[in-house]
Amino acid sequence: MAAGARPRIRANTTLVVTKVLQLLAVGITVLAACSAPVAAQPPDLVVSVAASVYDALDEIAGLYRAATGATVALNAGGSNTLARQIVEGAKAGLFISADETQMDVVEKAGRIVPGTRVRLLTNELAVVVPKQSHDFELSRVLEGRLSRLAMGEPGAVPAGVYGRKWLEHEGAWRRVEPKVIPFPTVRSVLAAVEAGRVDAGIVYRTDAATSEVRIVGRIASKDHPYLDIAYPAAVIVGPNEADAKRFLEFLKGPAARAVFDRRGFGRP
Amino acid sequence: MSAETWAIARFTVLMAGLATVLVLPPAIAIGWLLARREFAGKTLVETIASLPLVLPPVATGLLLLWLFGRRSPVGQALDAIGVEVIFTWKAVVIAMMVISFPLVARSARAGIEQVDRRYEDLAATLGAGSFRILRTITLPLASRGIAAGAVLGFSRALGEFGATIMVAGAIPGRTRTLAVGIYTLVETGREEAAWSLLVVSALLAFGAIYLSNRLVGQRGGV
Amino acid sequence: MIDLSIDIAMRQGDFVLSVRDTASVEVLGVFGPSGSGKTSLLEAIAGIRRPDAGEIRIGDRVLYSSQQKIDLPARLRRIGYVPQDALLFPNMDVRANINYGRHEAGEFESLVEILDLRSLLDRRVTMLSGGEKQRVAIARALMTRPSILLLDEPLAGVDRERREVILPYILRIRKELHVPLIYVTHDEAELNSIADRVLRLGR
Repeated sequence: MAAGARPRIRANTTLVVTKVLQLLAVGITVLAACSAPVAAQPPDLVVSVAASVYDALDEIAGLYRAATGATVALNAGGSNTLARQIVEGAKAGLFISADETQMDVVEKAGRIVPGTRVRLLTNELAVVVPKQSHDFELSRVLEGRLSRLAMGEPGAVPAGVYGRKWLEHEGAWRRVEPKVIPFPTVRSVLAAVEAGRVDAGIVYRTDAATSEVRIVGRIASKDHPYLDIAYPAAVIVGPNEADAKRFLEFLKGPAARAVFDRRGFGRP
Repeated sequence: MSAETWAIARFTVLMAGLATVLVLPPAIAIGWLLARREFAGKTLVETIASLPLVLPPVATGLLLLWLFGRRSPVGQALDAIGVEVIFTWKAVVIAMMVISFPLVARSARAGIEQVDRRYEDLAATLGAGSFRILRTITLPLASRGIAAGAVLGFSRALGEFGATIMVAGAIPGRTRTLAVGIYTLVETGREEAAWSLLVVSALLAFGAIYLSNRLVGQRGGV
Repeated sequence: MIDLSIDIAMRQGDFVLSVRDTASVEVLGVFGPSGSGKTSLLEAIAGIRRPDAGEIRIGDRVLYSSQQKIDLPARLRRIGYVPQDALLFPNMDVRANINYGRHEAGEFESLVEILDLRSLLDRRVTMLSGGEKQRVAIARALMTRPSILLLDEPLAGVDRERREVILPYILRIRKELHVPLIYVTHDEAELNSIADRVLRLGR
C-alpha cells in the first residue's frame, strides 16, 4: 500500500473486527489472570436482608466472622423483591424482612423451615424535614398544610404501608393523600428530603438518625400500638439450614443486640 | 481506587464480555433470518426478539426469575442436575445476554441487510450453498455492523441493572456488578462508596463509545 | 454448443418480457436497447431470478418450468454468470475470487494464462480497472466449468480503445475452451464480431 494511503473500509473490515475481538480477549484474559484481591471462595451463607437493616447486619456479620470464621454474604433489597426471589427458589439461607406481609408470602409458599420464624427487631416511623426547615411542625402534616409529602409507595413498600396506616389512624389520610409523592425505597425518600425537593417525608427512625435531616416527629410504638413495625427473620428451606440456624441464634444473642440497640432498632 | 472497586469492575467487565461473546451467535442467526428470509410468523419472531428492549428490565428480570426458579420446568430440570442459576454469576450473564440480545440482533440485521444481495446471488451461481455464502460472503461483508452491535451490546450489558438485580441479587463478591453495586450502596446509605463505582462506570462507558465510533463512524456512520 | 430452449414471460417494470427461442450455437448474442430486459433474461437463465411463467431448458435438462413446478437453484445449474459490473467479492483478493467456485486443480493456471491475470493475482479487488475486473470475473465463472457462460455487456465499462484489447480474450475463451456463450450487448459491432446467432429483444 502506498505510504500515507487511507485504508479502504472494505479491505480493512476483517482487520478491524479481528482487532476488536483480540482487544476483548486480551482484556478479559488480563483481568481474569490478575490475582483476585477479594476471596473467590463462595460465602458460607447468603442472607437476604431488607435494605433498612443492611448496615446493622453488615456490622454483625463482621462480628460473626471474627467469632466463628464463617462468612455471611448479604443480599440487600426491597422486601418484596427479596420475597419474590425466595419464592422462586433463590438459595438464600435466611430472610430478614421489613414487614410481616412479605414474610407471610414466603411462608405461604412453603419456603420457611417451620418453627424458625421470629420477631427479630422493631422500628419506628419518623417524620423528617429538610435541615433548613426550622419552623416546620408535625401538625402541618396531620392537617395537610404542606404541598409535598414523600413516603414509600403506600401500596407496596413496607415503610409506605406503615405511613399510610398511621395517617389513616390519625384521620389525616384523606387530607394528605393528594400531597403524597410515592417513592420506591426509603432511601429515595430520604434523598428527596435532604435535597429539599419535598416539604417532609416519612421514614424509619433508624434511617433518620444517619441522615442530614431534621426529625419533627417520632411515631413511638407505645403510643401507636396498631403500628407494629416488626422485622421478622426466618430460616429458608434449603441446603444451608444448619448454617442459617446458627447465624440466627447469633442474631438473637447479646453481641448482635448491642449493635441493633446502638443503631436505634427496638427490641422485639 | 480501592481493591473492592477494582474487583467489582473486573467482575462486571468479565461478565459483560462473556455475555456478549455468548449472545453473538444467536443474535447473528436471528438477525440473518429476519434480514434474508420471509416466512409465516416473521412478525412474531421480530416482536419476541425485541421484547427485552421494550419491556422494563425489571419485568424481564421477573420473567427470568420465574424461568430459572423452582416453579418452572427449566428451573426444575437444572435443579435436578445440580446446576444453580439464581443468585450466581450465571444469572448475571444470562440477564446481560437477554437484555443486550435485541440490540445485537438489530445491528446484525442492519449490517446484513446492507450487504448487496447480488453478491450472494453470484456466489450461488458459483456453486456455493447457503451456509457457505453466509460464512464467506454475507458475514464478512456485514462484519462492521455486527462488530458495532457487539460493542453496543457490551455497553448495555455493562450498565445492566434491573433484570440483574432481580435474578442474580446483589451479593457482594458474587453477583454485585457496577450498576447493582451503585444502587445497593446508595440504598443502604453509603453514597460516598458509590462514587468510585460511578467513576469507573463512566470511564468504561467512554471507552465503549470510543470503540463504537471507531468501528462505525469512520465515514460518519454506516 | 448451447442447446438452449427458452419460453418465458417475466414482469419487467412496466412491461412483460416475453421470450421464445431455441438455439443450438456456440455464441448466442442477445441484442436490445437498454431497459429491454437483457439482464433479467440472463438472471432468469442463471437461476437468480424467477420468471413469472414458462420453461427454460438446456438440452434435456429442465432448469425451470412453471408447469412442472421445477425451479433448479442457481447453485445446481452449472451456469457461469458475469454481470455487467463484474461484482467481484470485495472482501477477497483476486486469487480468492477466482478460486471461489473452484472445482478441481489445473483449470486455474490455464485460465490465468488465457486471460492474462498473473500480475493481478495478489491485488485487492478495489484496485482494478474496469477491464481487469471483467477478466477476473470471467475467470471466476469459468473455474466452475460451467456448461454455458453468460456475459452481460462485458465491454460496457471499458473505453473504446481498450475494447480492442479485451475482445480477443473473449474470443480466446470461445476458441480455446469451447465454452458456449450467451453474449448480451447493445452494440451492433460487437454482435457482428462474435455472435453466431442473435436474439433480438425489443419493447
